[in-house]
Amino acid sequence: MKISEVIVTINQMQTDGVIGTYAIGGAVGATFYLEPVATLDVDIFVALHAEAGSRIVSPKPIFDYLTTRGCQMEGEYVVIAGWPVQFLPPTGALVEEALSEAVTMDVEGTSTRVFTAEHLAAIALQTGRAKDKARLLQFVEAGVLDAKRFQAILTRHQLLDRWQQYERQYLKDSK
Amino acid sequence: MTFDLQRISESKRAYRQALASRPIAEKLRMLDELRERTLAIRRATIPPNPASNIVREPPRPYPARGTNKK
Repeated sequence: MKISEVIVTINQMQTDGVIGTYAIGGAVGATFYLEPVATLDVDIFVALHAEAGSRIVSPKPIFDYLTTRGCQMEGEYVVIAGWPVQFLPPTGALVEEALSEAVTMDVEGTSTRVFTAEHLAAIALQTGRAKDKARLLQFVEAGVLDAKRFQAILTRHQLLDRWQQYERQYLKDSK
Repeated sequence: MTFDLQRISESKRAYRQALASRPIAEKLRMLDELRERTLAIRRATIPPNPASNIVREPPRPYPARGTNKK
């Protein structure tokens, strides 16, 4: 059970032309900036394209590629190196931007793309579940966000009101 | 040993910062270990789902375009 093997596999998929640009998001992406927090799966964001002759965007080529290499399908997940991996298309403008502006990181000689801290924090704010709010607080407390860049993302994606509400609820007392 | 909550809180914060500043490969190995522990706890406390042998999180509701406004 190794995330590093997941990264190697995803890179190989990219080399083999099965996927284009990808980026790691979710809790695993956050771990590149914060202390590790237990998570059960890996979110990989990829720009999916319609197959030749079809207008429907499908993850089938990804599943076909991985199952022929011995990976198991589990619902919407593919199990790679013991980790359930979910391939997610960008479902909105914020995640599309996060994918295009993701940064390349090095993991012991293996490069991988990860959402920026500011995009991960903005996505957590947008998604808004309890654990996303907790993660956002981690980003703020860790001081890893570039305030100017974060503010610009919030403005571009109409999240300022939500951020002000979040600040009132969770950050006012700590200031 | 101290019962000074402020000191405890500061100590926890410092420990979290120390963890966050570890090399990424080391942090990813910690995720591997944390997942194994979580699975072990779940296996011991939650009846297994006969349809699946993989424990996973519920899908994350990444909002679709134009859903930011309340």
